[in-house]
Amino acid sequence: MRIDDQFLLGLANLWRMKLRMILTTLGVAIGIGALVSMVSFGIGMQKNVTDAIRENDLFTSLTVTGQEIDIQSAMQGNIEGVIESFQAEAPLLNRDALEKIQSLDGVEIAFPEIVFPVKVRMGNEETQTTLRALPASMGQFKPFNEIPYGHFFASDSASLVLLNPSVLKELKRVVKDPENPVALSWEDSARGVRSVSADSILGKEIEIITSVIDVSKIMQNPLNYLNTTTGRPFREAVTPFRIGGLLKEPSEFSDSRFISGVIAPIGRAEEIPQLGFTSVRDLFDPSGDTEGYGAFYVRVRRTQDLDRIQEKIEEMGYNTFSIMEQLDEIKKGFIILDTALGTIGIIALFVAALGIINTMVMSILERTREIGIMKAIGGSENEIKGIFFFEAGAIGLIGGIFGLILGWIVTRIANVVANYIVTQQGGPVVDYFYMPIWLLLGAIGFSIFVSLLAGLYPAMRAARVDPVEALRHD
Amino acid sequence: MNTEDSLNPILRIQKIVKNYHKGSIQVQAVQSISFDVSKSEFITIVGRSGSGKSTLLNLVGGLDRATSGHLFVNNADLTKMKRSELALHRRQTVGMIFQSFNLIPSRTALENITLALAFGGMKRRDRKQKASEILSRVGLEHRLDHKPGELSGGEAQRVAIARALANEPDILLADEPTGNLDSKTSIEIIQLLEKLNQKQHVTILMVTHDEELAKTVSHRILHLFDGKIVHQQILRRIS
Repeated sequence: MRIDDQFLLGLANLWRMKLRMILTTLGVAIGIGALVSMVSFGIGMQKNVTDAIRENDLFTSLTVTGQEIDIQSAMQGNIEGVIESFQAEAPLLNRDALEKIQSLDGVEIAFPEIVFPVKVRMGNEETQTTLRALPASMGQFKPFNEIPYGHFFASDSASLVLLNPSVLKELKRVVKDPENPVALSWEDSARGVRSVSADSILGKEIEIITSVIDVSKIMQNPLNYLNTTTGRPFREAVTPFRIGGLLKEPSEFSDSRFISGVIAPIGRAEEIPQLGFTSVRDLFDPSGDTEGYGAFYVRVRRTQDLDRIQEKIEEMGYNTFSIMEQLDEIKKGFIILDTALGTIGIIALFVAALGIINTMVMSILERTREIGIMKAIGGSENEIKGIFFFEAGAIGLIGGIFGLILGWIVTRIANVVANYIVTQQGGPVVDYFYMPIWLLLGAIGFSIFVSLLAGLYPAMRAARVDPVEALRHD
Repeated sequence: MNTEDSLNPILRIQKIVKNYHKGSIQVQAVQSISFDVSKSEFITIVGRSGSGKSTLLNLVGGLDRATSGHLFVNNADLTKMKRSELALHRRQTVGMIFQSFNLIPSRTALENITLALAFGGMKRRDRKQKASEILSRVGLEHRLDHKPGELSGGEAQRVAIARALANEPDILLADEPTGNLDSKTSIEIIQLLEKLNQKQHVTILMVTHDEELAKTVSHRILHLFDGKIVHQQILRRIS
């Protein structure tokens, strides 16, 4: 008897006990449905995160920093180690270093991280925020190549700034979006926030106010600065700018190195007077070398160059950080999530497998005589095993297919419900579930595998039926 | 013994013993039986129920294993065969019919035959043709698509005979083939077996307790009593 005969016989036997077969198959379908929807949720989460990271172009950049505190020594209470790490002569993050990094093969842009607290004044309104300096060349990359209103600055010395919508709101303006009108909340209206057109904002004058040490005040009365109300040795420096554009509201996946209330061209920003330190080192460095920066942002041309360039910069004695390194950690996290979700589905499937064993043992008891007949007319143990094995496999296949359909329906409904709740709270519409083809095929394969495993014992039992016993006429 | 038959035995049984346990009691079902069966012979074993005749037939059919002794079919010793070889023996060398027919109730007459052909390894497209041929040989060409429940006892036994012959075995083993049939139908079935023996030279080993009916067709009758052959009757020569 050939394999296909065994398969057809198995199917015919299933067809004979339809109701029982349907119930058993339904059990498998529920197991597979649970497994697929659980795992597709985990995969969907992972896909959303990695897509967002890719979307925000985080795979092509790294951050270079100077010497770090030896955290491991600090954790272990090794004070000497900490001091040693401070004292170690690390190369400074200065202009020379920047030029060296810029000249590395494959580096697209490198610039120092300059960010400092500022006060912003527009008309009569003012608010506290941070200013970040970026080169004009960043305008060709995400997220600055697609800013919703206005343009990224074309030159490093332009007197233009880009504003974050949250800062604009603090300045009591909200841009009206005709395509996506959002009503102002009651609190915002009460505060006097007004909805205005983008055109009325763009080109508007805005003042960037920074604190600087007023040496003359200290000289006038060296002891007066102890009086905290009148004697603080600071004064405000005002630098005029115009609003060149409005940024998108940053999402949780936005590159944190670009999130800032105000973004200004790097050349112009460096001219803004400010308390002249960007790193702790500057405070303690007796040489007073203020050429050093806290960090560099380095963007590479191609993702695959990242490792190589990272290594080269580390050879120079600097520390580097890239999201790529983090991605491995993120992936590990998702493997744990997927495993946890998958386990729930697998438990459901194993319950279904017990159902298969039960159904098949029952049907073997009912069909003992028939098995005896098949043996008497020449059926070998392997052939009879095969027939029952195929019965189990067919339950797995059919259950798997229906399980996928079930899982698909469940995830679609869950997606609609989840999106309804999330969008109610102002969240974006996201597909929370993702079923890649390998998951679909894998689930069916797994279903068949588990079913065959469940069929192993019944099939063996069928093969061992004693024909003399089975055919004894009662 | 018939020397002529012994020259050409298709089945040679030597000192075969079968003991089994019924609870804690050991039953000696077959006690050192020896005899040969020639090609084209119609041999009948008669005896009361419990005389061990069905057990003997199961041993020859390869459904059961002997406790000791030898059992040669075409010079191959059944007592030395592996389970898979015994399955092959049941498929190719012997065909069995039973008192209770033992057809698969969910399958039609034709399907019962094609199942046997499938076990015999015939290609699927040839099976139907062959199965209907065999069924018409036993006079059932009009009953192909009937299930066993829709057939009379005589018809069901004919289907069983057809199934037993499907893979063209060397020996047909018949275990009380008329036990469930009325006397008229019994005669018809016995005549069918006689016809198969006479016309197609099928070797038949039959077990029955109906000695009178057996006498009309058998070449030889062996009388079994408490697991031993107590008497042999030679009735006619093999033609």
